[in-house]
Amino acid sequence: MVISQEEHLKELSKDYRFDWKDESHSVFEPKRGISPAVVEEISHLKSEPDWMRKRRLKALEHFDARPMPWWGADLSGIDFANIFYFIRSTEKMAANWEDLPEDIKGTWDKLGIPEAEKKYLGGVSAQYESEVVYHKIKKELDDIGVLFTDMDSALRDYPDLVKEHFGSIIPSNDNKFAALNTAVWSGGSFIYVPPGVQVDIPLQAYFRINAENMGQFERTLIIADEGSYVHYVEGCSAPIYSSDSLHSAVVEIKAMKGARVRYTTIQNWSTNVYNLVTKRAAAYEDAVMEWVDGNIGSKVTMKYPSIYLMGEGARGEILSVAFAGKGMHTDAGGKAIHAAPHTTSVINSKSVSKDGGRTGYRGLVRVEPGAHHAKSTVRCDALILDDESRSDTYPYIEVEDETAALGHEATVSKVGDDQLFYLMSRGLSEVEATAMIVNGFIEPITRELPMEYAVELNRLIELQMEGSVG
Amino acid sequence: MTTFDRAALDALPVAPGSTGAIRERAFVQFEAMPMPSQETEEWRYTDLSAFELDFVPHVPGHGQGAPEQDAAGLAASMLQHNSSVVMTTSGQDLESKGVIFCDLDVAAEKYPELVDRHLHSLVPTDRTKFTALHGAFRTGGTFLYVPADVAVELPLQTLTYLDVEGAAVFPHTLLIAERGAEVTFIDRFSSPPLGRALSDAIAEIVLGDGAHVRYASIQEWGAGVTHLAVQRASVGRDADFRSLALGFGASLSRAEAETILDSPGGFSEMLGVFFADEDQHFDHRSVQDHVAPNCTSDLLYKGALRDESRAVYSGWVHVRPDAQKTIAMQTSRNIVLSEHAKADAIPNLEIEANDVRCGHAASVGPVEEETLFYLQSRGIPRDEAERLVVTGFFQEVLDRVTLEGVRHGAELAIQEELGRVR
Repeated sequence: MVISQEEHLKELSKDYRFDWKDESHSVFEPKRGISPAVVEEISHLKSEPDWMRKRRLKALEHFDARPMPWWGADLSGIDFANIFYFIRSTEKMAANWEDLPEDIKGTWDKLGIPEAEKKYLGGVSAQYESEVVYHKIKKELDDIGVLFTDMDSALRDYPDLVKEHFGSIIPSNDNKFAALNTAVWSGGSFIYVPPGVQVDIPLQAYFRINAENMGQFERTLIIADEGSYVHYVEGCSAPIYSSDSLHSAVVEIKAMKGARVRYTTIQNWSTNVYNLVTKRAAAYEDAVMEWVDGNIGSKVTMKYPSIYLMGEGARGEILSVAFAGKGMHTDAGGKAIHAAPHTTSVINSKSVSKDGGRTGYRGLVRVEPGAHHAKSTVRCDALILDDESRSDTYPYIEVEDETAALGHEATVSKVGDDQLFYLMSRGLSEVEATAMIVNGFIEPITRELPMEYAVELNRLIELQMEGSVG
Repeated sequence: MTTFDRAALDALPVAPGSTGAIRERAFVQFEAMPMPSQETEEWRYTDLSAFELDFVPHVPGHGQGAPEQDAAGLAASMLQHNSSVVMTTSGQDLESKGVIFCDLDVAAEKYPELVDRHLHSLVPTDRTKFTALHGAFRTGGTFLYVPADVAVELPLQTLTYLDVEGAAVFPHTLLIAERGAEVTFIDRFSSPPLGRALSDAIAEIVLGDGAHVRYASIQEWGAGVTHLAVQRASVGRDADFRSLALGFGASLSRAEAETILDSPGGFSEMLGVFFADEDQHFDHRSVQDHVAPNCTSDLLYKGALRDESRAVYSGWVHVRPDAQKTIAMQTSRNIVLSEHAKADAIPNLEIEANDVRCGHAASVGPVEEETLFYLQSRGIPRDEAERLVVTGFFQEVLDRVTLEGVRHGAELAIQEELGRVR
């Protein structure tokens, strides 16, 4: 077992595995920078209804008016004028992998998406640059009324549903980057699960940035109607360039009465991507919302998946794993807002930093007046693997109801010398022993992932560990 | 319009030694600096935007009407009444050991080399508008100097007593414990209920290598007082600093307690106990700043809230890159006793070294129904059961207070708060 692990480590390149670039695939000449004209053009290219065009332009005003966040990570490296806000890479969305241009298809093959689709997914959406290039849902899901499509098609095909819910959880002016997304959004997933329908195989979206200085602004809206269940999984990657790209998504989720939604992210952007994402869910009466959030890549991540517990008995859970290596700053966390009685939330965060990386947990648990008998536990653990790395914890607890019971706990430590010594006395190298301890450390989160993703996450951690010690 | 203008500054008693220069510099800073804004993280939970700086800048005291101090249990005591130090008792014993305990203004004249070196070294006047105001308008204050290897058995105490409606006082404690010195000091703040008054306080505590200092602040201002306090200690090599903050009084109390561990082997314990009621607003902030390796810090704040009161605890543990082998703990526990009381807790960690053990915990919650039910099932009335639980809640901190008199006083104060008709 030990030998095979060593071989396995050798096999894997030390570099980021997803660092390949396709030739540029734009079907029109993309322009850098943002202006009302760019926003108009995006809206025009998509032949959108007028309300959306107006919404975009208004959001651009909000974006221009808002200052950059002064807290969190250093965002001074973002040059908004140098970013491509929209790149269309094929004229037509495909429903068969074979219909895609050869190298775009090659990308998905290398990522293993078609293979995964066959084996264990209920539907797949693949976004390349600004738009979804491949989309398919299993026929049986389609038959029972599950809607799973890209957001652009949804706006065209289900205009009333989109108009009703778009921006209802995250308003345009929620924050600077939500405003930017609202102005230039493109792609993303739209999911509607009818009442009582259990989608028991995950739906997956995969996001790929190919071009340098690309800005990807997907917009996702998930509505799980009463008593339904859906598990949505997203992954992402990009090639490594010398200058930076920006990924700024908005994800809105509604878990209606008694529904359960699980949203799993494995974020593995290359280390030149700014990942500034707003994710928020509303959970109504007796609904369950779960965010499973793995952040392994990117240059800077600022992402705090939130749950607004709006109905009595609603439950929320946020599981977060953050990793930061050289030059990376992962500022992740979560928010639980208790706005109804008898609501519960659990936040469990694990972070690992090494080679000068910086991880942070930034969280808020808030109990609104009248949300009696709310319960919340927050647990954050951080592992710092060397003396150049850093870990921060900023937990906010705000309680306006006397019956609320809230707790927060955190620990920060290094890999224990005694643990290392024990494993090494059993013949493991220091690297292997460290990887094993780190995998054990994040195990409470990985065991919540679908098996394939748990394996992938463990492999990524091992890869990141290699060459770190000694 | 503020009453803290040039004319008021010129009307103050002459500032001795170098404090005249501090006064002038701080006044310029005070005029230039803005009021703290809720836009900043530091003042997020305390709104002073409508706070008028129209207090009487200087009120000479005479000592009449102040509470008695427990002379038997103290090595020495001082009374500051409003803006003036009116009495100091200091035994022969202390003087023969070389301990200096006197009015800070007297010290500025008699021991300029000590005062110049340390006054506003830990809390600079330009930290905020209020520290600048303090630097400009302070008169009186406590100077305590303990020479190397001198141990003072009994505690020393300063009582700052305020009894003038609309007055401002600027309590200042400058405590210097040289290498190997041991001392315990109690800072008490007391007043009758006043319509409005300002206490703008600073405590600077310097521990030499191997020094042992216990510092307790007991805040019992009457209703109406706004208490804005900054306490900062610097801990020498292998020195041991233990602080306790008791907060019961004032209408608005913002108390910042900071320890900087900048030499190896230092130890810092910070305990806090507060009980807020009616419309009291408490904003407690703490900093445990680990700069040097092999230091340990432990913080425990416990508070109870009732009526419409509001309490915020926000704390920072910094572990700087060189501070390997740090052990830092930070715990904030809040018990909420009535529907309209509010508690917030923000325990922050910033860790830049890897070979450390750091942890924090925070909780906000009511007295558990189960516990109350158990006690009631044993025939204890609900009110009494709640009182027992809250008493037990505070016992964890009070058990760590080694000053008998201070602990007893705190226990009495808690019982008094609990005994009030709800």
